[in-house]
Amino acid sequence: MGAAITSAADITVAETQPRARGEVMLSAHHDGRTRLRDLRQSGCMKVLFPNTGRDFQAVLLNSSGGVTGGDRLSVAARAQAGSHLTLTSQAAERIYAAQPGHLGRVTNRLTVDAGARLDWLPQETILFDSAALERLLEVDLAETARFLMVEALVLGRAAMGEQVKTLHLDDRVSLRRGGRLLWADATRLDSASLPALSGRATLNGAGAMALAAYAGPDAEAYLEPLRALTDALPAAVSLARPDLVVLRAVAADSYVLRKTLIPALELLRGSKLPRTWTI
Amino acid sequence: MAMNMITAKTITTTTIMTMPDTAALLTLMQWLSPAYPVGAFSYSHGLEWAVEAGDVTNAGSFATWIGDILQHGAGRNDAILLASAYRATLDEMADIDATARAFAASRERLMETQFQGDAFCRTVAATHGAALNGLCYPVAVGAAARLLDVPLAQTLPMYLHGFAANLTSAAIRLVPLGQTEGQSTLAGLAPLCQTIAMQTAGQTLDDLGGCCILGDIAAMKHETQYTRLFRS
Repeated sequence: MGAAITSAADITVAETQPRARGEVMLSAHHDGRTRLRDLRQSGCMKVLFPNTGRDFQAVLLNSSGGVTGGDRLSVAARAQAGSHLTLTSQAAERIYAAQPGHLGRVTNRLTVDAGARLDWLPQETILFDSAALERLLEVDLAETARFLMVEALVLGRAAMGEQVKTLHLDDRVSLRRGGRLLWADATRLDSASLPALSGRATLNGAGAMALAAYAGPDAEAYLEPLRALTDALPAAVSLARPDLVVLRAVAADSYVLRKTLIPALELLRGSKLPRTWTI
Repeated sequence: MAMNMITAKTITTTTIMTMPDTAALLTLMQWLSPAYPVGAFSYSHGLEWAVEAGDVTNAGSFATWIGDILQHGAGRNDAILLASAYRATLDEMADIDATARAFAASRERLMETQFQGDAFCRTVAATHGAALNGLCYPVAVGAAARLLDVPLAQTLPMYLHGFAANLTSAAIRLVPLGQTEGQSTLAGLAPLCQTIAMQTAGQTLDDLGGCCILGDIAAMKHETQYTRLFRS
């Protein structure tokens, strides 16, 4: 057995030897309709462009099959003026057990220019026992941009009797409009806070949760219709800022979560979710 | 004889050490007492919905609910914001305040931190000459403590205790709890306030976050609650 990692110095050494690296940079522009402008992909991150016959969709694919300690994945995407870019993932992202002291890092940076819209619709992130993930979603919106996002987290796979006992999660979202910080959120879970997840202020023992948000000048119009859709779950909606509607939901598992989440996202999107969500 | 000398020496030392601390404590007691006009009594932080939904039904379930909010929700986050404001230069204060606003999870949570902060700034400017204006509540308290040289190590646990005391008063009215039952619960929360204060004193904005998801949902649900005594 190797020696236990006991100091920050050991962690630094561990982090200089990533297991998997993947990077995607892409931008879309408007030219009669939305088209791909630039694309760079490297390592285990790839992008597919399904012919939807409708909107312009980019499907992110992590060919390493999941995220574990030492992995470094990043996406930088830009919807240029007037374009409408939808980003989704091929499958739910699995965060596997990491060696002690090794963190997986996922960094997603999105830019939405004037009059453009970006829909960030990855499928669930499933956290396995001993997962260690630091994830950042940074969004920069022009004053007239629209943005829809969802991040759904699932603790283990309940149907398979899996229990998460050790975890490190720091999952951060920040939204800027016109350069000013508009809204931020950070879900933090660690081995010390896991026992608290049975509480009525935390998760009441639920295994799945979602955070969705829509930023746009018409955000308020979605408040009441969304409230009507979220009655089945411990879920709620708030016009957290004058141009930002936020939805939070908690469910026993991802199947139950999706029954509320998919109609809510389709309402905010004004169309069906990308096909990867349902195949 | 020897005994007397030791006693006298102890008293002298204690006196020197506690005089400024007492002044600081009296300032904090005034700022964080229910009488200080920030309107704290009108905010329940979503507790009113949690009671309506049957999540908080007695002293035990209230203790768990508030304990989690303190450790994994707004309690810890406010403490981090307060400590960050305490250490900040004037230039950095705007960023910390913007972060405090950004992390407000719902419309009423934003109102809760904004309106109490506004009122605190106005009042502390008048009562203690601290030139503060329009900061969110924990940021305002951190900035005021720094301006008046009130130690952070005392400000943090007192702030957390004030937060817990306010929600305990709300629980006494809403659940309802007996006065003594409520105060016993609050007494039980004091060690937690101290622990969180120690943990957060050196933390930064990068440490913000938590897992009180249902607490946030309760705060959102409160917006449409039919009968309400509280503004959050």
